[in-house]
Amino acid sequence: MDSVLRAGAMYLALMVLFKIAGRRSLAELTTFDFVLLMMIGEATQQALLGDDFSLTNSMIVIVTLIAIDVGLSLLKQRSGWVSRLIDGEPTIIVENGKLLHQRLRHARLVEADVMEAARSSQGIERLEEIKFAIIERNGKISIIAREN
Amino acid sequence: MNDDADHADLRSRDQPIHEDMTYQLKVWRFERVGWYVLVLVVVMGLLGAFSRGMLSSRDVRSDDGKVRVEYEMFHRNGSTNPMKISVSSTPDSPVELELAGQLLNGFSIETLQPEPLRARSSSEGIRLWLQTDADGRATLYMTLRGDGLGLFRTRIGSPGTHGVQLDQFIFP
Repeated sequence: MDSVLRAGAMYLALMVLFKIAGRRSLAELTTFDFVLLMMIGEATQQALLGDDFSLTNSMIVIVTLIAIDVGLSLLKQRSGWVSRLIDGEPTIIVENGKLLHQRLRHARLVEADVMEAARSSQGIERLEEIKFAIIERNGKISIIAREN
Repeated sequence: MNDDADHADLRSRDQPIHEDMTYQLKVWRFERVGWYVLVLVVVMGLLGAFSRGMLSSRDVRSDDGKVRVEYEMFHRNGSTNPMKISVSSTPDSPVELELAGQLLNGFSIETLQPEPLRARSSSEGIRLWLQTDADGRATLYMTLRGDGLGLFRTRIGSPGTHGVQLDQFIFP
């Protein structure tokens, strides 16, 4: 019983924590983000398994985690409200070549982040060439270029 | 954050995607409040609200000063913490110590040093007999591992002395 509860509690706790961290936090993995992710994994592992390293226990934990994940995706499919709560919504941050500064501030982004995405995805050099920049639900910035 | 909610930047757009900025502002507010909560948890962790620290380490004495217990008020399930019990009595003689209450329900005693002269179970817990030194003092060092969850109340005493009451909380 406790394995299922542990896995459920950990899933919920991590989900809330990563909601607090925001969608951008681990979207663009830097080397350090990758190390951080591994450290989080290490810290989680002990709490998930406790002192029971049996095959059965690890299978129960994995099955519970996957079951919750699939369950949530089914729920998201049926309810727009749940989907919005868990995945969030895309947000426009550049509109017709102009930065929406208030939004950037709330999303903890700077112009350099937008330009980085613009360069890497569209080869755009200047802000004016961007028609729209949107923070997607997964935290990545997608760029729509202006048509000349 | 409320004051800038009607700023032009924060109005919902319909092109190229349909937005609900009221909801997005709530999400951002949640992130901001969440960050304060995280900082609070870190500070509480540093202070010892989750075991081992200023808020958790206790040193209590009985009213007559004969029994003294140093212990951690907050424990975590599965982790070990020390407990030190000192008793004063007549020199060079056995002294009885009773651990009564919920201590043994919530914790398992991993180590007990020095080994008591005698140990008995009692209706409320266990009784141990320790040998006092030439100054009439005896000290028992224990390592407790938290097995339970929640609050556990224990009374540690010796016959003829006022005991001490301990409240210990075990986190999941």
